[in-house]
Amino acid sequence: MDAPAQKKVIIIPCSGIGKAFGSISRDATYEVTENLRKDTTQTLCLALLVSGDEESRRLVSSNKCITVDGCPLRCAEKNVKLAGGNLAGSLRVVDAYKKNRHLKPRSVTFLDPDGRQMAAALAGKIVKKVDDLLGEQ
Amino acid sequence: MTEAQKKKVGIISCSGEGCVEGTISRVATRLVLGKLRPIETVTICLPLFLAGGREEREFARDYPTITVDGCDKMCAKIATERYSGKPASSIVVADMLKNWQCPKLSSRRELNDETLAVARKVANRIAEEVDEVLKHWV
Amino acid sequence: MSEYLTTTFDKFELRVRKGFYYTKDDLWVSIENGKVKVGVSDYLQKTSGDVAFVEVAKTGSTVETGRAFGTIESAKTTVALLSPLSGRLDEANSKLTGSPELVNSDPYGEGWLVIIAPRNIEHDRASLLSADDYFKLMLEKLQSEHGKLESR
Repeated sequence: MDAPAQKKVIIIPCSGIGKAFGSISRDATYEVTENLRKDTTQTLCLALLVSGDEESRRLVSSNKCITVDGCPLRCAEKNVKLAGGNLAGSLRVVDAYKKNRHLKPRSVTFLDPDGRQMAAALAGKIVKKVDDLLGEQ
Repeated sequence: MTEAQKKKVGIISCSGEGCVEGTISRVATRLVLGKLRPIETVTICLPLFLAGGREEREFARDYPTITVDGCDKMCAKIATERYSGKPASSIVVADMLKNWQCPKLSSRRELNDETLAVARKVANRIAEEVDEVLKHWV
Repeated sequence: MSEYLTTTFDKFELRVRKGFYYTKDDLWVSIENGKVKVGVSDYLQKTSGDVAFVEVAKTGSTVETGRAFGTIESAKTTVALLSPLSGRLDEANSKLTGSPELVNSDPYGEGWLVIIAPRNIEHDRASLLSADDYFKLMLEKLQSEHGKLESR
């Protein structure tokens, strides 16, 4: 009998294009899914999920999800909920900013040094949440 | 409405986290908004658009839009048609790259020099589309 | 009839609440039962970005016209809040500690900043702008704006 596929935590950033925090949500997600927890997490396109893609919907409903939003409008959280995702955590870039008030990321297109630092701090928060969730499984 | 406000084009880009073409879409769109056509263009934030953002949807309904998608799933184009109306123009980055026979691209997270050059090329193409749309829109 | 004067800039609708007074520094003033409620205009919240911190002087402090009584801070900027009148700061909006985003989402309502007991409201009112005059000032500021407002 094949072993069941390992459950992963799905991290979904808003990737909002108008603000630096949107870019930070995206970069922090990549840091986790490509580096810090690359075997136990993955990401997916929010827009693809909302468009009704079957594979995306199956992924978010059968795995625990963490959304990472760049602003208080919480688009990733809203959209994942609407798509029937198994939402286990919602993080916001502003919460990383509140703990790192000295950082003032300005650039949206390419992260500046403050943006990278904030993304790293946020990635740390995401990892903590991932580890908590995987510990529960 | 002022003349300046009249002549605006909304750019709706995917940010597809799944592939480098998504990152190229995003960067190319930002280059158009920030450098190439800053006065003539407005960004529509796709996640906000999808979540029901009133300003995003109304702008896309009342002004011409250009969608920029990374792949042939065309999420930005489909969303725009669904919630606001047919875009004036649609660009699919993956198709462009095929036509240009681009070399293997870098990771989806960071763009290396080669991929950045490709993003700039895509940005120039988007800017040309903006000019074309404005020329024909009264 | 709408309770706002509105204009559009890019995709953003910017509103000025009728019936309020305003300062040239983009604060609004509402006079209720002898007390004065103060907040930031839609224009100011939009140009400031997503507010993460709101800090104001302690309750009971004296505030003076034109002097800073607090700040709003985002990753983009820190804005000094200059008092539209002189008096005593009676109350600060406690909701803004946990939910500073109210300044952005509801600047004329739940995002109010402080309530001031005025020393001489008639004197200070003379220096304030009507909603119509502030709307014209806001249009001038938008005309001279070259950058782009952040998405909201």
